[in-house]
Amino acid sequence: MQVIMVDREKCTQCHTCALWCGIEIGSVTKELNQAINEEPKPVPRVHVEGNNLPLHCRHCEVAPCIDACPNGSMRRDPKTGLVYVHEPTCIACWMCVMVCPFGIIVPSSSDHGAIKCDRCRNMEYPICVEVCPTNALKLQETRTGLPEGDSHYAQYSKGLEGSW
Amino acid sequence: MEFVQKKTADSAVEAFLSKAAEKGISLVWDRYEGSLPQCGFCDTGLNCRDCLQGPCISHPFRDGSKVGVCGKDKDILGVHSFLRLVVHGAMAYLDQLIDFADGVRAGQGSPRDKGKANKLTKDVQTLLSDGGAGVLGEFPKALTDAWKAAGVYPEGVAKDLFKASQKLDGGTSGVQDTLLWAFKGALLGCVAQVLQGRLKAAVFGDASPGNVEVNLGVLQGEVPTVLLYGHFSPLLKQKIAEAAQGKKIGIMGVCTDPLIPPYSFAPVTNFGSQEIPLMTGAVDLIVAGDQCVNPSLAFLAEEWKVEVVQTETLKRGDDVGNLARKIIERAGKAFEARGKIAKDIPQVKESARMGFSAADVDMKKIAEALTGRKVKGLALLAGCNNVKFTQDQEIVSLARELLKKDVLCISEGCASVSLAKYGLLNPGNRGSSCGKGLSDLLLSVGKDLPPVVDLGSCENGGVTEFLLAMGKAPRELPLVACFPEANRSKAVARAAWTTAMGIPTYFWPYLPVTGSPKTVEALGDFCQKTFGAKLNVLTERMEPLEKADLLMKGLKRA
Repeated sequence: MQVIMVDREKCTQCHTCALWCGIEIGSVTKELNQAINEEPKPVPRVHVEGNNLPLHCRHCEVAPCIDACPNGSMRRDPKTGLVYVHEPTCIACWMCVMVCPFGIIVPSSSDHGAIKCDRCRNMEYPICVEVCPTNALKLQETRTGLPEGDSHYAQYSKGLEGSW
Repeated sequence: MEFVQKKTADSAVEAFLSKAAEKGISLVWDRYEGSLPQCGFCDTGLNCRDCLQGPCISHPFRDGSKVGVCGKDKDILGVHSFLRLVVHGAMAYLDQLIDFADGVRAGQGSPRDKGKANKLTKDVQTLLSDGGAGVLGEFPKALTDAWKAAGVYPEGVAKDLFKASQKLDGGTSGVQDTLLWAFKGALLGCVAQVLQGRLKAAVFGDASPGNVEVNLGVLQGEVPTVLLYGHFSPLLKQKIAEAAQGKKIGIMGVCTDPLIPPYSFAPVTNFGSQEIPLMTGAVDLIVAGDQCVNPSLAFLAEEWKVEVVQTETLKRGDDVGNLARKIIERAGKAFEARGKIAKDIPQVKESARMGFSAADVDMKKIAEALTGRKVKGLALLAGCNNVKFTQDQEIVSLARELLKKDVLCISEGCASVSLAKYGLLNPGNRGSSCGKGLSDLLLSVGKDLPPVVDLGSCENGGVTEFLLAMGKAPRELPLVACFPEANRSKAVARAAWTTAMGIPTYFWPYLPVTGSPKTVEALGDFCQKTFGAKLNVLTERMEPLEKADLLMKGLKRA
């Protein structure tokens, strides 16, 4: 599975990933100047928090959100391993929101459903990785859900130690 | 903020793009692509760096960071983004003027009309606490009354620009109030531009239209060549030309006033391709100001072993005459030293007739033609090039369309050079470029008028003088102004004062204010109410034909 890795030394917290995620994935118009004034407000799937850490869905191997979903709306793509919300059946009960250990999933009342990063599974390349001006975000192959070799990249469990 | 497939409409320039790629040299287009996607917060005016508690943004999608640390919300950020550009742009006009006037006062030139020059330099000296009352008194009363009522009547650098710049520091002004400060500052820029044009006429004599050749083909190759880049004192330009008298030396210009009587400096190219002349190998020395000069020239000059003389230095002890002589001497030496460097001059050039003024045309007839709708209206084409568009394509296509539709087109500065490269300033193309009504009008109001009438460099207030000579408030006439490929902060200031004169103004690319709906609205409806014209912020992608239709609609309002 390919996941998004964050190089915390390169991240400047510029929020460019969140801005473009909101435009490309969250908005109706997909145009910067229209999207920023859209109502309801587009919801980015990536969140930049303190300590230079853009938070994306980790697509956990044992995903609590899938287990918690009462009607099977939280699903895993068998080909890519990516976890996504099947929007037509989501009942907005927010169980997934409560169990996500990373706080990735956003309860959206306007969309009547849970919103989360699906790593742009229907696009060739995740938009956040494409727009990151410092190349702090990279798409990387992993077998275990954690990056191999390159210890420079923050592993999520490690990355969160500082802020918790 | 998009990838532009075709970089330039100018074939002479295009030929150099692959050559640069082969050599691994990055030009403006490469640097632009390297910067994509550009910052969305900056692009929409939702950012601020005016103090050290920031940088701040107003995040359009995130509740926690909607407002800057000091409390600037998206609307204040947006209007400040506009104000910042206007203040910077207006100061550029004042900088040029004060430099020139200081030179005249120091006796660097021998003015043709001493009395006038003395009076003008005194006017410049008092600009700190006077908004140029002499010039402002010549504007139609309806216009100055509207400015006074809105509080934007210029009162001098201290009350206009110093105050306006401090709006960026803080205070509780709202969007409309802040916007008016921007217009106040911009109008002072307008006064400065007019004063510089008049001082130029007093010092060098009234310029009559001149025939010049334009584009890279004007470079010679077999003689030492000096290129004047950007804006610096016309007195230095005059001295350089004088020092070269009787010597075989070519002196040309890029983004600079091409006509300093009795001399002319052929425009080698325009803003977007200002790096290209150095790549021809046929330039030995450049004299570079600051305004409109890309810092990348320093790198290219090193690469092609071109000498660089900066005009805007901290220690300008040298007398301009001495400096000019040194420049010519160094150019000669550089030419010899550069003998082995290959020269590659494209044989592309066009003739142009430039530098018209109200005195060269029958203004009464033009005003009558506009009120009687013998032509559809008058369009000002301004601005230079912007890498976000195919170089020259927008302005040239738009001009061609307007001319066909019988719209009298006037232009200034770099916009004129763009148009000249494609023959639109060549009187010989009048018949083929213009609609019948326009062609007849041009034939009857002056001698040898080209399809587009160039009113001189952006250093001088030729366009404002032309409008003043019309004798009517602009809002009573079918006028529009457009900036199809705008780029510099000066263009933003220029667009602001044009709007304040009551001329509907169309600006591309969109101004970095779109994150603030209130600022966009204020530039539109509020300006319409206050000045009788909008400064249109246009975000939709439009073909030149659609742009021409939009301008035609703008003309119909009067």
